[in-house]
Amino acid sequence: MNRTKAFTIPYAVWMALFVVAPIIMVLIYAFSSADGGFTLANFSSMGDYTVVFVRSFRLAIIATAICLLIGYPVAYMLSREGKQFQRLATVLIMLPMWMNFLLRTYSWMSILENNGLINQFLGLFGIGPFQMIDTQGAVVLGMVYNYLPFMILPIYSVIIKLDHSLVEAAHDLGANDFVAFRRVILPLSLPGVLSGITMVFVPSVSTFAISTMLGGGTEFLLGDLIEQQFLGGAYNPQLGAAIAMVMMVIVVLCMWVMNRFGEGEEQAVVL
Amino acid sequence: MKKTNSVFNRAFTFLVFLFLYAPIFLLIIFSFNQNNSNVAWGGFSFHWYRELFQNRIIMRSLYTTLLVSLLSTVIATIAGTFAAIGFYGLRRRARNALTTVNNIPMMNADIVTGVAMCLFFVGFFHLWSDLAGWINSIQSLVILPTRLTLGFPTLLIAHITFNIPYVLLSVSPKLRQLDKNLIDAAQDLGCTWFQAFYKVILPEIKPGIISGALTAFTMSIDDFIISYFTAGSSSSTLAMTIYGMTKKRVSPEINAISTILFVSVLLLLAVINIREAHMEKVSLRRQAMPATQSASQRKFSPTLRKLAKAAAAFACVGVLIVAGVGAVHNTQQPVVNVCSWGEYIDEELITQFEEETGILVNYQTSESNEALYSLLKSGAGDYDVIVPSDYMISQLIEEGMLEKLDYSKIPNFSLMDDRFKNLPYDPANEYTVPYTWGTVGIIYNTTMVEAPPDSWNVMFDDRYAGNVLMFRNSRDAMAIALLYLGYDLNTTDPTQLRQAADLIADAKSRGVYQAFVMDEIFLKMESGNAAIGPYYAGDYLTMAENNPDLAFVVPKEGSNWFVDAMCVLKDAPHYEEAMAWINFIASTEANLANMDSIWYASPNREALEQYPAYYEGLYDEPLDQETYDIIAAPNEVLDRCQSYVSLPAETRRLYNELWIRLGT
Repeated sequence: MNRTKAFTIPYAVWMALFVVAPIIMVLIYAFSSADGGFTLANFSSMGDYTVVFVRSFRLAIIATAICLLIGYPVAYMLSREGKQFQRLATVLIMLPMWMNFLLRTYSWMSILENNGLINQFLGLFGIGPFQMIDTQGAVVLGMVYNYLPFMILPIYSVIIKLDHSLVEAAHDLGANDFVAFRRVILPLSLPGVLSGITMVFVPSVSTFAISTMLGGGTEFLLGDLIEQQFLGGAYNPQLGAAIAMVMMVIVVLCMWVMNRFGEGEEQAVVL
Repeated sequence: MKKTNSVFNRAFTFLVFLFLYAPIFLLIIFSFNQNNSNVAWGGFSFHWYRELFQNRIIMRSLYTTLLVSLLSTVIATIAGTFAAIGFYGLRRRARNALTTVNNIPMMNADIVTGVAMCLFFVGFFHLWSDLAGWINSIQSLVILPTRLTLGFPTLLIAHITFNIPYVLLSVSPKLRQLDKNLIDAAQDLGCTWFQAFYKVILPEIKPGIISGALTAFTMSIDDFIISYFTAGSSSSTLAMTIYGMTKKRVSPEINAISTILFVSVLLLLAVINIREAHMEKVSLRRQAMPATQSASQRKFSPTLRKLAKAAAAFACVGVLIVAGVGAVHNTQQPVVNVCSWGEYIDEELITQFEEETGILVNYQTSESNEALYSLLKSGAGDYDVIVPSDYMISQLIEEGMLEKLDYSKIPNFSLMDDRFKNLPYDPANEYTVPYTWGTVGIIYNTTMVEAPPDSWNVMFDDRYAGNVLMFRNSRDAMAIALLYLGYDLNTTDPTQLRQAADLIADAKSRGVYQAFVMDEIFLKMESGNAAIGPYYAGDYLTMAENNPDLAFVVPKEGSNWFVDAMCVLKDAPHYEEAMAWINFIASTEANLANMDSIWYASPNREALEQYPAYYEGLYDEPLDQETYDIIAAPNEVLDRCQSYVSLPAETRRLYNELWIRLGT
């Protein structure tokens, strides 16, 4: 097997070039000023954006919680259906991902508009119109809609692998359904839950497309803040890199905490 | 699996699926709509499907999307499989270290990966440009291009980079299940390593490879953020095109393409699923009858192999077709890359130019001067011709980003009115040919306001709270606040600027603004979703065509008047074609067509004079003076307007800072 080690080399070089070097570039930019000198100013001005950090985290946490509340029951129920149904259902959950997520978000724009479908429908009963698009609620909806499959699938794939005899043993030992769920299934499905949480939280906290499309662009999220500095209306890649770096640190921290809880090594695979 | 779910539980699952699919079904239903609405049904038709195949921008981005997804999947699958085998042979510590690095792109937020790669590529381009310049200067055998930009190669690299980890992750577990002795045994029996790989390893890890490839393809197709930062403007993916469209008008062809994508994916998955069901049945049968195992295996593996071969052949043919179509597309036809604003040209002019000259026009749009500047700086904008406004032109000239024009190739420049030559942004007129000019004013819906506004104060008071739109670009938004406060719109005084920003922030916190917009304003004003919005005079007339309740005023405090001019970027790869395009657009005919289509005033003397007659000839009715005065503001309006000048770097930094803070 020794000779196969050589196969590692091309990919290691590739990673050094396109994974490690870019991250080093972010670090360099984060610590430099517009004219190239070393500075900490990008970080000291970060305090001005506390509101954005708080808002992004709040919305992402809400979205993740909703995804968990919807996703766990769905995953659990799916695991108790017949094999055929399960296969069909997992395919149906994955299917929307094959259309780009912007297409799906775009569809929500016309549903939520002031004279969009929901308001037209409510109008038939003389209710509304309600302001739905361009609100934080719409942004959370967009996150839940787009990332729900990322919650359902990892949980499902863990539950489905559970040893069912454990549940039976619990029943034999006098546990009712609820106790068996709480004491056996829930703890054992935790790795799936944790991986689902990261898979929903990370894209939610860093999104910018959903917030510009459904949020009206008046209230930035972290993603908007970064995008604005690189390709948007306020070119300042140094500050953008600094914010990206902070985000990276946060993600690493999240991972670390998650890994302390879960078993770590094996991340649940999406497909 | 023993207990089935209650009706209530099933209903819940059903509702979740309804939630996931309702928006998609709406897209599909409205793709057959006769009119261009996404909310009102106007009758069944295939209209948008026909339009879709005519729409070059969408078809091109669909092609880019498919090509990059297929290519990156194939490359990543092969590379990822070999990398997994390599990892498998490593000692634990080395493997863990490499696996950690491998997981980075998967775990990092997409935007961080995208931004990091963007910075890396741009850094590389800078190094390259110095190196290539030096090489070109010491020898003359090979001339290397000095200006590199983001484009398809960088997009492909990015996709491969984020795809390999998924392949590796799904192949590795299969390898770990593999009995190491098998390989040794094969080699003991006289196989070379490669034969052992082909006959022993590959069949065992095949399910992992297939699911890895599938994941990689899904991730590629679904990606927007990383592409957005690495693709550059001329090779935009479908997602990028849609994102660009949502910032102005989304054309309903998008519904049609969603439907086509959805249906083809559905078919593909159905095929895969039937195959899986078949495989499962076979393997179940095998378990049930251990005695006939070898027989069923013999029956089974040819089928599997055939299917795998068919799938592989399918993928290869797909890549070949897509690549072939691309090759036909790219056959040495001269091209010019143009970047302008949204709804800012009579699109027939593009076709006409292509037919006359045989030069393909790659026409793209950007949102605002500031966004254009970011695109250029970050290397994402690989354009030849751009159409920035006055103040941005002087900034670009200052930073040495523009190329001088060859006026001997632009004879139509002589047709320009003297008023629009040698303006302060280009005093010696070496870099620019004016495109349009106009004013900024307030557009309001007469049915939604109490009295016609005549002052910028409607932008800041509570009277129309929730129904006011505001500019989403710092210069225009700040100008409004500065004018309302009675300051110069070119002020560099930080106190005044802060005061202006505070004014906007205060109005925003009181809920005055419905949204910060650029071209989204078209739909919002036309559909009566907002009562008041400041925008450009020409665009007002376009909106008024679709909603006669709209009116326009240049407020009494004064406003901005602007000139947008065509310029060519430094080291533009298609300089000659760019000259041809600029000359074509400067002609009187093109200016008349443009004026009629976009309602912006032309700087071409003849066109401006002839327009009323041209209008009458086209529509059999005279152009009313009021409309003409909005297109080409008369002197008494221009007297209270002022043009922007380029601001010193320090003030620009303050603008950016204040602007970002407004978004918080």
